[in-house]
Amino acid sequence: MSEIISQSVLRGLAAEWIAGGKSVAGPARVKPDLVLYRTLRSGDDLLLEGFQRPSNSIKDFLFPKAEKLYGYKIHGNSIELIENDSPEPAQVIIAARPCDAAALPILDHVFNWDFHDEFYNRRRAATTVVTLACSAHDENCFCTSVGLDPGSERGSDAILFALGSGQYEVRCATEKGHALFDGKTEKSERTGKAIAGPEKRFDAKAVRAFVTTHFEDPFWNEHALTCIGCGTCAFSCPACHCFDIVDAGPAAGNARVKTWDSCQFSTFTAHASGHNPRPVQATRQRQRILHKFAIYPEKFGEILCTGCGNCARNCPVGLGVLSVATEINHG
Amino acid sequence: MSKAQEFEPKIVAYVCNWCTYLGADLAGTARLEYPPNVRIIRLPCTGRIDFNLIIKALEVGADGVLVSGCHPGDCHYTAGNYHARRRWILFRELLDTLGIDLRRIQFTWISAAEGRKWQQVVTEFTDQTRKLGPYKELYATGPFPDVPAPETASPGVKSFAAESELREVCGKLLAEGTVKVVIGYGARGPVVVTRAEDAERLVWNNRCFSNLTAYLKRKEIKSLGKAAVIVKPCDEKSLVELEKEAQFERKDAHVIGMACEGVDQPKCAHCTARTPRFADVTLGVEAGPEPQTSPSPNRFAALMAMPPAERMAFWTEEFNRCVKCYACRQVCPMCYCERCIVDKNRPIAIDPAPSTKGNFAWHIARAFHLAGRCVGCGECSRACPAGIDLALLNISLHIAAQKNFGYEAGIDPKAEPVIGSYTLHDTEAFIR
Ligand code: SF4
Ligand code: SF4
Ligand code: SF4
Ligand code: SF4
Ligand code: FES
Repeated sequence: MSEIISQSVLRGLAAEWIAGGKSVAGPARVKPDLVLYRTLRSGDDLLLEGFQRPSNSIKDFLFPKAEKLYGYKIHGNSIELIENDSPEPAQVIIAARPCDAAALPILDHVFNWDFHDEFYNRRRAATTVVTLACSAHDENCFCTSVGLDPGSERGSDAILFALGSGQYEVRCATEKGHALFDGKTEKSERTGKAIAGPEKRFDAKAVRAFVTTHFEDPFWNEHALTCIGCGTCAFSCPACHCFDIVDAGPAAGNARVKTWDSCQFSTFTAHASGHNPRPVQATRQRQRILHKFAIYPEKFGEILCTGCGNCARNCPVGLGVLSVATEINHG
Repeated sequence: MSKAQEFEPKIVAYVCNWCTYLGADLAGTARLEYPPNVRIIRLPCTGRIDFNLIIKALEVGADGVLVSGCHPGDCHYTAGNYHARRRWILFRELLDTLGIDLRRIQFTWISAAEGRKWQQVVTEFTDQTRKLGPYKELYATGPFPDVPAPETASPGVKSFAAESELREVCGKLLAEGTVKVVIGYGARGPVVVTRAEDAERLVWNNRCFSNLTAYLKRKEIKSLGKAAVIVKPCDEKSLVELEKEAQFERKDAHVIGMACEGVDQPKCAHCTARTPRFADVTLGVEAGPEPQTSPSPNRFAALMAMPPAERMAFWTEEFNRCVKCYACRQVCPMCYCERCIVDKNRPIAIDPAPSTKGNFAWHIARAFHLAGRCVGCGECSRACPAGIDLALLNISLHIAAQKNFGYEAGIDPKAEPVIGSYTLHDTEAFIR
C-alpha cells in the first residue's frame, strides 16, 4: 500500500501553502537555460521535469547569501544595537534533490558544534523539506561515490517518487512531512523507485588517504593552475558553509550581515599584516578537497560533499570536486 | 497637504575645493539666499569625485545630487575637470541603462566668482527635485517586459580543422624551448601544458570559450616562464588593451592566433573580427557565420526601449540573483587589480553584502571600471552562475565610448584609451 499524489494536486497544495502564509521554494525556470531554486509565487512556477538539477542549492533558504544579524544606530558616542530576533515564517522546500537534502544534516553539525547558530537553527526549525527522487543523472553526478543515491531520504521530511503520468508516491519520513501530506494523498498499490545511481566514479577513502598524506605535492599546483579563484563552486555547493561577517554600512540601514565566503578567494586567509598562509591557488584548492574529504569527516564522520556535481556544472573553467577526486583516484 | 508636511528634498552637492566651494562661500558672504536643502561635501577636485560617491548619496537617501567644479580650463590641477567630464559622459550612459533617473543628478561648472550662479543652480535644482518628489524608484522592483535572453551554446562538440596543426605547433614550441608553457584549451576547459608530449591534450573546437589572456596575469603561471597563449580574434583584443595599460609586453608571450569559426556564444553572432591581427603565428581559416549587420544585439535595443523605471526593475531582478562569487571579475582579462575595490575593507568602499544595494554597488563599479576597456569577450556573462546578462552593461558603455569618443577597445593599438585621456573639446549637453 502506498500514498500517491498527482502533479496538479501537488501544485494546488503548494498554492495553498503560499496562500496560508508559508514561504514555498522550489525549482523554477529563470532563463531559457537556467533553473534555480527560488521562492515560488504560485504552484505553476514549480518546475518538476526537464532538467538535471538547479544551479544553486537549497542552502540558500537556510543559510542565505546575506543574513542580517543585527542593526545598529549611532547616537553621538554611543551605539544602540537592534536585535534581529523576528521569528522566521514557516517554509516549505519542494522538489529538492536528494543531494540537496542530504546536505542539511551536514550543515546541522557545523551550525551546532562549538556554537549554536540561532539564525540557521531558527530557519531550520521552520523548514520542511520535500524531496523529489531523481529520474535521471548526468556526467557530473556522483552521489554514489560519496555514499548516497538518487533515492536517498537523508535530510528529507518527505520524499516523492515519480510514477509516471503525473503521479508521485509520497513517503513521509518525519512529523513535519506528515503534517504537510496527511489527508492530501490517495491510497494506491503502486510504489515508486528511484533510478539506479551513476556508476561509482572514485573511492572516497582513497581520496582521503591521498589528501592526508600529500600536503606538499606537485599535484595541487598542476591541478589548480587553471582555477581562477572565484566563489562559484562553494556558493553553488549545498554543503559548503563558510561565511564572513561584514558591516553593510549606512546605505544598507546600518546592519551587520553574515555573507557567504569561499576558501577559493585569495582574501579568505589574508592576514592584516599582508601575510597569506595560502598564498597561491594550489593551496586553496587543496584546502577545499582536504576539508571535504578529511577535515570534516574526521570531526563529524561523514564527507562534506553529496555528489551533486554543481561545482563542476558551474565552474567557468571546467574544474570541480569530481575531476580532482577522479584524478587523485586514477592517477 | 499642510505646509509643514510638504516634501523637502535632500540634496547632496559634491563640489571642488577651489572653485565651486568658494562660489558657494561667496554666495553666503554676499547674503544671496538659496534653499537650505543642500548638504555640501567638499573634495579637492572634480577629478576626485568618484562615481561611487554619486550613487552612495542616492543610496543613503538623497533625492538629488549636484556635482560641480571649476570651468574647463580653470581646474586648479590643470586637467582634473577634463578627466571628470569624460567620465561623467560615460557614467551617465551607464546610469541610464540601469534606469536611474538622470533628472536627479545635475552636473555644473561654477567658479569662485559665480556666487550668483550657485544660488541659481541650487534654487532651480531644489525646485525641480521637489516637484519630482522623493526618489523612491531607486532599486525598486516592479513589472517589466521581457528582455530576450541571449542565445546559448549548443551542447555538441564540433572539432575544427586546425586542431592537429595547433597541437603540432605547441608541441614544437615546448620541445624547442621557445616557451615553457602553453595556455590552451582542453576537453573540459582551459589547460596549462608544460611538456611537449602533453600538447596532445589541446583541443580546438566550438567549446573553446575562455579568454585565456586572463591567465597571463596570474603569478602561478608567470612563475613557470615564458608562455604561449592561444587566442581567438576576440580574445586578442584584450592583449591590445592590456599592452596600452602596461600590463603586458609582447615579448613576454608567444601569441598563437586561431582564425575563428565561432564558439556558439551570443557575441559570435555580431562578431566582425574573424582572424587575429597581431599574433606571432596564426592557424586555421576563418569560417564563422556571417556577422549580423546590426552592431548591437537586439536585446540591448529591447532594454533601452523600456521606460527607465522598467529598466530599473529589470536590473533589480537580475542583480538580486547575484551571489558575489566574483566569477565575472576573475574570468575578465581586464580585471587585473591586485586587490579589487570590493575586497578593500579599510575602509569599505562597496557594501560587501550580496543584498540589492550591495549588488548594485558592485555592478556599477564593475561595469564602470571597465568603461572603454571591456573588449566584449563575453566571459563575464558566460561565467555567471546566476545567469546575469552583464554583457548588456558592457555593451552600453561600449556604445557610449564609440558614440562620444570614437573609441573601440581592442581595435587600434595606437588610439589613446578613453579613460585616462581627454580632449579640450569633449562635447556634452548636460553640464550647466
Ligand atoms: S563539493 Fe561539489 S559535488 Fe560536492 S556537494 Fe559541493 S557542489 Fe556538490
Ligand atoms: S574550481 Fe572553478 S568554480 Fe571553484 S574557484 Fe576554481 S574556477 Fe572558481
Ligand atoms: S559572476 Fe554573477 S553571481 Fe558572481 S559576482 Fe558576477 S554577477 Fe554576481
Ligand atoms: S567585462 Fe566581460 S566582456 Fe568585457 S573584457 Fe571583461 S570578461 Fe570580457
Ligand atoms: S580643482 Fe576644481 S575641478 Fe579640479
